[in-house]
Amino acid sequence: MRSAFLIDLQYRASIAIWLVWGITEPIISLGIWWSIAAGGAVDGYTREAFARYFFGVALVNQATLSWDAWNIDRWIRGGEMNYRLTRPIAPIHEAVADNIAYKAPTAAIILAAWFVAAIFWPAVRIPFEPGRWTLAIIAIVLAAAIRFLNGYASGLLAFWTTRATALVELQFGLSLFLSGRIAPLSLLPPRVAHFAEYLWFPYVVSFPVEILTGAVTTRSQYARGFAWQIVWLVIWLLLYMLVWSRGRRHYGAVGG
Amino acid sequence: MSGPRRTMVVLRAFWQINWLEELQYRGNFIASLLGTVFWLAMAMLTVALYFRHTPQLGGWEYWDVVVLLGIFNALAGVVETVLRPGIGHLPTDVRSGALDLVLVRPVDAQFYVSFRRLDVWRLADVVLGLALAAYAFVQTGRVISTWELLAFAVTFAVAIAVVYAIWVTLMSLAFWFVAVENMSALFDAVFEAARYPVSAYPGALRFLFVYLIPIAWTTTIPASALTGRLNPALAMWAVAVGIAALGASRLLWRVALKRYTSAGG
Repeated sequence: MRSAFLIDLQYRASIAIWLVWGITEPIISLGIWWSIAAGGAVDGYTREAFARYFFGVALVNQATLSWDAWNIDRWIRGGEMNYRLTRPIAPIHEAVADNIAYKAPTAAIILAAWFVAAIFWPAVRIPFEPGRWTLAIIAIVLAAAIRFLNGYASGLLAFWTTRATALVELQFGLSLFLSGRIAPLSLLPPRVAHFAEYLWFPYVVSFPVEILTGAVTTRSQYARGFAWQIVWLVIWLLLYMLVWSRGRRHYGAVGG
Repeated sequence: MSGPRRTMVVLRAFWQINWLEELQYRGNFIASLLGTVFWLAMAMLTVALYFRHTPQLGGWEYWDVVVLLGIFNALAGVVETVLRPGIGHLPTDVRSGALDLVLVRPVDAQFYVSFRRLDVWRLADVVLGLALAAYAFVQTGRVISTWELLAFAVTFAVAIAVVYAIWVTLMSLAFWFVAVENMSALFDAVFEAARYPVSAYPGALRFLFVYLIPIAWTTTIPASALTGRLNPALAMWAVAVGIAALGASRLLWRVALKRYTSAGG
């Protein structure tokens, strides 16, 4: 009994560490912006607005994070992909299940932490509006799907190259700015922010966060955001299917 | 041969093998270099973004912060070259029982485990980081005195000692939490905060970084030495912190090792 509990605790500790790893980035950003905003609002963002924004980033980032590329890379290089290929269903089903099993509880923990923080710290309270929250949940689910397919398809490039994860890291680095992880998009140089609108980056973190914090207000802002989410979801789904069918054949050709 | 000398001989042999192995993979060098340059660029863009909205960060000007960023990158290079491939591998060794093979060797186990591998290509991160710090220093327009250069050398050594002590502490926990594979992610997460001067954080975080997780001593203090913010008293404190951190981590390592009963136990 005791040992079962301890083993359980150890795996939880492991998950807790990833959780800490995930939330330090928004905490650091918030800390820095908090100091910068000491002298007054920065382009309309007060200290409290920054706090709400980065609590949102912590939640959305945790719920949409994708690490599958590293798994795929390891499987393909280590040969574990072989037995996965012999199964009657594509390995992506397993990955989807893994993602839901990991993200649902960890995102719930962040949500609970946010709730507790809001009791003691009025700054991070966001108004209770069922309609807005429902839309935010839909946006988060779509964002998670886009990021998942993006990471998965990029990871599958490991069928051809040993440096597929470098491509994922590149996107990860760009997303610091273009997804709004370091700062709200409106604080970026306008040209960069405008350029980002045509890519998927803003719609996987910034857009759901800004629904939550109330920065998205008009009907056309919602329509634009959701439309781009769907466009990029379809694009990454098609790219995944393309890479998966081509890659599998390529893989067979190498091994055979 | 006496203990320490024997250890050095063993280590030198290992590093030579490492060196020869790594030389076969020059592609890795290019890849790791490109990666470092990319992340440095991202870091500098982040700082530039902050400075679009403020003239100073915790009392530090733009180029002062870049000096600190260079030092951060050099320290991260030390981590990637020595600590991650060496002591970072400890949890795996504890779980698999491979640590047995280390313990039977006639060398100090902590020393051996810590310095057994060198990812030589990552030394480029150290060089790039120091080069960036030097470039940014020139941009600040300051002239360095001998005393400041000496203070930098000493506090940089302290920084390495503190980072090393944090790794030893975290990895020693592997003896209790055998199933926790990602202890090093905890370091990565917290060390991120060392990218900026500690004065740029709100009070609670500052307290945390100075007293509880002492990363303030790793980048802020050496960068202070180069930017004229370090007084002799603080330098003395830094040395004391470095020694205390090393001592405490050594103690924890000893206690942890007593728990080790190999994989079957």
